[in-house]
Amino acid sequence: MSLQIHGLRKTFGSVVALDGLTFEVPRGQIFGFLGANGAGKTTTMRIALGVLAADRGEITWGGTDTRSLPRRTWGYLPEERGLYPRMVVLDQLVFFASLQGIARDLARKAALEWLRRLRITDLADRKAEELSKGNQQKIQMITAVLHDPPVLLMDEPFTGLDPVNVALLREALLELRDDGRTLIFSTHQMETVEAMCESIAIIDRGRVVVGGPLRQIKRASGRRLVKLSVDGDHRLAWLASVPGARILRPGIDRAEIELDQGVDPEALLAAAVAAGARVSHFEVAEPSLEQIFIDHVGRPPDVDDTLAPATAGSSNAEDAA
Amino acid sequence: MTAPADAAGRPADPAGPSPRPTREEPAFPNTGHVARREYGELVRSRIFHASTVTLTILAVIVALLPIAVRLLERGGTTRIAVVASSEQLGASTQNVLDQLLNSQGGARYLVVVESDAEAVIRDVDDHIFDAAVIATRQPDGKIGFTVHAGETVGDGTVQLLNVGSLSVAFFDFARQNPVNGFQIPSFDVLRQAGGGTAAAPYDPSAYASRLIVGAVFGVLIFITIVIYGMWVASGVVAEKSSRVMELLISAASPRQLVVGKALGIGLAGATQVALVLTPAILILLVEDRIATAVLGPAAGIAPSLHALSVPLVMGFAVYYVLGFALYSLIYAAAGSLVSRPEDLQIIALPLSLIAITGYLQAILALTGGITWFIRLASYVPFWSPFVMLTRLSVGRVEPMELVVSISLLFLTILATAVVAIRIYGAGVLLYGQRPGLRAYLAAARHG
Repeated sequence: MSLQIHGLRKTFGSVVALDGLTFEVPRGQIFGFLGANGAGKTTTMRIALGVLAADRGEITWGGTDTRSLPRRTWGYLPEERGLYPRMVVLDQLVFFASLQGIARDLARKAALEWLRRLRITDLADRKAEELSKGNQQKIQMITAVLHDPPVLLMDEPFTGLDPVNVALLREALLELRDDGRTLIFSTHQMETVEAMCESIAIIDRGRVVVGGPLRQIKRASGRRLVKLSVDGDHRLAWLASVPGARILRPGIDRAEIELDQGVDPEALLAAAVAAGARVSHFEVAEPSLEQIFIDHVGRPPDVDDTLAPATAGSSNAEDAA
Repeated sequence: MTAPADAAGRPADPAGPSPRPTREEPAFPNTGHVARREYGELVRSRIFHASTVTLTILAVIVALLPIAVRLLERGGTTRIAVVASSEQLGASTQNVLDQLLNSQGGARYLVVVESDAEAVIRDVDDHIFDAAVIATRQPDGKIGFTVHAGETVGDGTVQLLNVGSLSVAFFDFARQNPVNGFQIPSFDVLRQAGGGTAAAPYDPSAYASRLIVGAVFGVLIFITIVIYGMWVASGVVAEKSSRVMELLISAASPRQLVVGKALGIGLAGATQVALVLTPAILILLVEDRIATAVLGPAAGIAPSLHALSVPLVMGFAVYYVLGFALYSLIYAAAGSLVSRPEDLQIIALPLSLIAITGYLQAILALTGGITWFIRLASYVPFWSPFVMLTRLSVGRVEPMELVVSISLLFLTILATAVVAIRIYGAGVLLYGQRPGLRAYLAAARHG
C-alpha cells in the first residue's frame, strides 16, 4: 500500500501549477515533499484532500482513488495556520474531530491526551486568540492527528516553532511513523528533511525533478562533501590551488567543501598538508540536500525569503541626493 | 537535470482524464456539527446578547406605542370652529361634523359655532382653534365651504371635513325638497372571501389589525433575512481571514459547511426573534386591558393582534425558513470570494437591494391594495417571502396560489444551492481576489 501521485495536471487560468506530477510515497515512511514557493506543493496536497480537482491524472492510496476515500483518511496541517480565534481550544479540537466522525466524548478524551503529550494541558480552556503562534501551531497539529488518520499531510509543519518545540514535534512525528502512519511534509528546512525523511521528491514548476530514497539520491548526485577543520585558519586560502573544490558552507570551526565529480578527497588533504595547515578534522561525507536542491531547481529552497539584490540607482544615498 | 522519478515505473505522461469518483458524504452528522458550533458561538456572543436586549426593549416600546400615544393625546382635543352665513346652516354643519369626526369613539374633536369669520381665522393662526370651516350660502342656493386648516390638522381630518360638507349639502337639499323624500342610503361593506365562501362584513378595526400584523411580519422577515444573511456572509469571511477555512474545507464538504452554517445562524436568528417578540406579544394580547386600566373604559383601542391567526403564524414560519434558506445561500456564496472583513461592504449593498425591492412591494401592498403586479411579485422567489406574507396578512390567497409560490421558492432554493455551493467550494480558497461579478461567474462555472 502506498500513496501514488500519477500524471497530475492542474492549471489556474493560464498558470500551470502542476504539469504531469508523478511520484510515489511508500507506506509507513516520512516523506519530504520539497520545492520552492509556488512549485505546486500545496496544490498537490489540496488535490489529495479532495479540496481541489485535478485537470488530469489521479492520486491513489492503496490503489483506491483518493476522491472516493473518506476525508478521515487524511490528517492535514495547512501552511496557513488558523483556528477560531474566540473558541476555546478543547472545544475546537472536539469540533474538528467530530467532523471526522469521532464521537464527542472520545474526541475530548483523545484531545486531552494529546494536549498532555505536547505539554500544553493548561491551554485546554483558553481561547485560541490568547495563545502564542507556536502554541496555536501545536493545537493545529493535534487537529490533524486527533482522528488517527493513516496519512498525514503537513505543509511547513516546523515553521515558526522554537528549537524545543521543533524537537517535540519531531519526536511526535517519528512516533506516528513508528505506529505505521505515512507522513508527508513540505519544508524549506533541509536539515529537518535529512534528519527525518527516508524518501523525498523535489518538484519545480509542477514537475518532479528528482525523487526517491534520500540516500540513493545523494549517491546518484556524484557530488562529495568534505568537512574540514584547520586550527587557526578558517579562510582556507590554499583551497584555490585545488581544482574542482569550493567552500560550500564556510565556518570558523568547521567548513564544508564541495568536490566536483572525479576530484579525489585525498588530493584536498594533500594540498592542506602541503600548505602547512594544521588539520584537526577531515571527514568525507555525502552531499547536502540543499546542494542537491540547488542543482535541480537552480536556487536555494528558501530563495524567496531572502532579500533580492538592489537595483542600480536605487540606493538610499542616491535617493537622499 | 534528472528526469522525473516514478517509483511505480509508470510513464510520466498521464493516461488522460479519469472518470471522477465521488466521495459519499451525507449531509448529517457533519451539517449538524457545523450548525451546533455556529448556533453556540452566536448565542453566546456579546453582540447577540446586546442586540437581543436592545430589540426586545424596542419591541416592547412599539407594542405600548398606541396606548402611549392615546395617553399623551388625552385631554388634547382638536378644536374646529364653524362660521356660517345663517344660523340654520351653522347648526346643521356643527351637527354633521361633530357626528362624523367623533364616529370612531371618544370625543377627540370639539366642533363649535362662531360668528366672526375673521376673528376665527386669526384664532387658527394663534392655535386657539385647529381649523375653521366657513360655510356660506350663495344667491343661487348653493352652499360653499372654505376650510382654514392649522398646522395640527392632517390630511385625514381634511378628508373627513370634505365628506362632512357633502353630508351637510345632502341634508340641506333634503330639507329644501321634502316632496322627493330624500333618504340617507345604507352603506355596507362586505369583504369577499373567495372559493364560494360567504362574504363577511367589513370590520375596520379588524382590517387595521391585519395591517398592523402584516407590517410587523413584513418588517420582521426583512430585518431577520438581511441581518442574519449578513451574519452568514461575515462568518464565511471571518473563517477565511482567520485561515481556519483551510482546516474546515479539508474536514467537511462545502455542502455540509454551507448548510450547517445557514442552519445554525438561522436557528440563532429564530431564537432571537422568539426572545424579542415574546414580551411584545404578551403585551399586545392584553393591550385592551392595559388601555382600559391606563386610559379608562372609553379608551377605544382595538386589539392589535386581532388578525394574528395560527395559519398566518405558520405562513410566517414557512416563508421565514424558505426565505432565509434562499438568501443565506446567496450570502454564503458571496462571502466566500471576500478575503477581508472590510470588503464585505462591496457585497452587502447589492444583496440587500434584492431584499429591499421585495420589502418595498410588501409595503406597497399594505397601503395600496393587492394589484396585479403585487400578485405577480408574490410568485417571484426572491420577493415572495415578503410579498406573499403581506398578501396572507391583508389580502386573500387561494390555496393553489400558495402552493405555486412555495413550490417556486423551493425549486429556486435547490437551484441556488447547487450554484452557491460550487461558488463557495472554489471561493473559500481564493485570496486577494476582488469579489466582482466575473469572479463569481468563473467560480460557478469551474466549481
